[in-house]
Amino acid sequence: MDITRRDFTKIGCKIIISAASGTAIVQSMFTKGIAAENPPENGGYDWEKHFWGYVVDTRKCIGCGRCANACKMENKVPFDEEVYRTWIERYRVKKTINETFEEEVVIDSPDGGIEGFVDDIPAEEVKKAFYVPKICNHCDNAPCVQVCPVGATYETKDGVVLVDYEYCIGCRYCIQGCPYGARYFNTEKGTADKCTWCYHRITKGLLPACVQACPTGARKFGDLKDNKSEVKKIMDEERITLLKPDLGTKPKVFYIGLDREVK
Amino acid sequence: MQPHLKRAFTILALIIIAFIFVRSLVVPESFGQYGWYRGDSVKEIRNLTVNYRGSASCGEENCHENIYTVWAKDRHKTVNCETCHGPAQKHVLDAREPLMPANDSRDYCGKCHFKRISRPEAFPQIDPGAHGEDLRCVYCHNPHKPWFD
Amino acid sequence: MLENLIWGYVYPNESEIQWSILIVLYPYITGLVAGAFIASSLYHVFGKKEIKPVARFALLTALSFLLVAMLPLLVHLGRPERGIEIMFTPHLTSAMSGFGYIFSFYLTIVVLEIWLSFREDIVNKALSSHGWKELLYSSLALFSFDISEKALHDDEKFARKLAIIGIPSAAFLHGYVGFIFGGIKANPWWSTPLMPIIFLMSAIVSGIALLILLYIAAMKIRKHVIDHKCLQSLAHYLWIFLILDVTLELLEIVSMKYASREDIDIINRLLSDKIGFTFYGVQLTLGIFIPFVLLLMVSLMKNRETLKLYMISISSIFVVIGVFAMRWNVVIGGQEISKSLSGTLTYVPVFFSQEGVLPALIIFILPFIILLVVTSILPPWKDMEEEPS
Repeated sequence: MDITRRDFTKIGCKIIISAASGTAIVQSMFTKGIAAENPPENGGYDWEKHFWGYVVDTRKCIGCGRCANACKMENKVPFDEEVYRTWIERYRVKKTINETFEEEVVIDSPDGGIEGFVDDIPAEEVKKAFYVPKICNHCDNAPCVQVCPVGATYETKDGVVLVDYEYCIGCRYCIQGCPYGARYFNTEKGTADKCTWCYHRITKGLLPACVQACPTGARKFGDLKDNKSEVKKIMDEERITLLKPDLGTKPKVFYIGLDREVK
Repeated sequence: MQPHLKRAFTILALIIIAFIFVRSLVVPESFGQYGWYRGDSVKEIRNLTVNYRGSASCGEENCHENIYTVWAKDRHKTVNCETCHGPAQKHVLDAREPLMPANDSRDYCGKCHFKRISRPEAFPQIDPGAHGEDLRCVYCHNPHKPWFD
Repeated sequence: MLENLIWGYVYPNESEIQWSILIVLYPYITGLVAGAFIASSLYHVFGKKEIKPVARFALLTALSFLLVAMLPLLVHLGRPERGIEIMFTPHLTSAMSGFGYIFSFYLTIVVLEIWLSFREDIVNKALSSHGWKELLYSSLALFSFDISEKALHDDEKFARKLAIIGIPSAAFLHGYVGFIFGGIKANPWWSTPLMPIIFLMSAIVSGIALLILLYIAAMKIRKHVIDHKCLQSLAHYLWIFLILDVTLELLEIVSMKYASREDIDIINRLLSDKIGFTFYGVQLTLGIFIPFVLLLMVSLMKNRETLKLYMISISSIFVVIGVFAMRWNVVIGGQEISKSLSGTLTYVPVFFSQEGVLPALIIFILPFIILLVVTSILPPWKDMEEEPS
């Protein structure tokens, strides 16, 4: 068989190119797509054994704002910017004055409720008033995870929705996609940001900062896989509601005592 | 196929191969480890610094055992030490690290206890105009044991 | 100040509008691309001979706008240097993730289409010029100079196939931009399955209108007579697509109001307090109804070419403005309602800033400069200046 020099270089080139591109393709298609068998082990924490949930008992909230304050301290969320990982809303339903029986509801959350609230509507004009703590719902079918174009936000195996600050491109599509207004833009990092349920704390056996700070037990956090946890008990025994359940986001923050005005 | 089209498609193919090659170099190793995201980011977020240590570590032996016992028996046991004393993780790791001075102003107590229309009625609240003559609350009430015996 | 910008209750994190004027510009520019391409395929695919004078010019216009289409997105990113991740690890559940690939695919088709339809000119220039020009045109010809009748015929056949793929991909490129908004269930003003098709129709409308304006401008600058047959044919298609566009836009708003879901109060407030003028005034009246009537008159009138020319130009200007208002009303309007459904915000454009009006203006002027450069390398004037037979 005669192989001229020209043919030889041709064949050689082809082999080199196909080998180089072939391995590259195979590598990119497979090695990175294989799900790992073992979740990260870190200080004995196994994320397969937990599935976190959060309960808000709005009947107990006194609007002191310690939760929102502790959250900003713990997670270094800037105090001088209007960004919040958790906040408290105040609802005041005014007494009906006109004859249409339409209720006037005043909703506010001055500075996220971090500094507490001051009554600026006279008590005699209000017929019903209450606080509602809000936080990222860590949806099991999270629209923010769905819309992230690069895979920079995800739900962990233990049910926490996180943002990868080293990978997020800052397109802010997730902020648009969140129906609860739980996400914000971190101007310092140039990325999206949100509540992590204090993932750095709960994986070490601590409570999220907001839950720890709550003096009345309006915020509760626990493991839904643990039958003895308080959150699981409330789930099993109380009547609970979700925020915007019609959107099918499957939130994991469960509310007790929500009013119809709360969205 | 005509030679000019052949050449055009060769260029296109080279661009695609170059893209795949660059992609394989640039995409982080841990991407796709657990799902469509960078596996290492879970570790990164897990390793963020803790600031609030939790009340339990304040009551350890040879530390603040006494005041802890008083607090833990009384009604303010639901108020975490760090809610008034500030984040204490550094102080727990190294006792020489000072804490922020505890906030014992009247307004700070008022964040929970001033009368507000939106609060649950059963919660203990005072009318700040009528109670305590603008004195600091801690003048009469011990914050660790707020009720008189 | 801030108090006046916010009405009712908005979630604390919503105090800032996240998607600014740059994101208004992005669907606007891709819309012009898709429209110009579809106008050119009226000739290339559907064989509408009247369009021939502008067919290749339309392709160059599409290319010029396509080249800057991703700029507003890139400038808007918090981390522009990471933007390429959308190509490397596209998260396929996201409507946005397809952007990189659809964009690249479409760019390839447009470039190939242009290359094939200009190849005869390129080869002729390469053979007849010297120095750096020879090098430029020879490399554009990929050093293959076969322009025999058979080669050109094969090219044309292939170009036609490309154009046939090009139409759905142009429709996809832009329909998908609509889906970026239409797929957001959190936002009642965006979340409608009609969004992609509304975006597509307004894209075609704006692209044809832009082509008309550029054609008239080019002929005025080159001091050449306008081919009225071509112009009126374009105007005719503009009119047809306007009808489709207005039908869908009205259908959306009517069904929203008729269904009167939970969010209707806030939608009504948006339409009356926030974008009332830009929606009813600019988008519908100026951008659709006036051009619709003018173009109807153009098609009914006989002779009086100068008057028709004015009417077509005015309609096209109004359409181009109206479609911009439509993008504004979608992108900005959707963010001016709070997802709490009980409050509204106000977008105040800034001039000098990364996401201000200035970069938006620069990005919008850029395609015209690119078009100038591209037409000087690949002049399409020959088709336009042939005496109409």
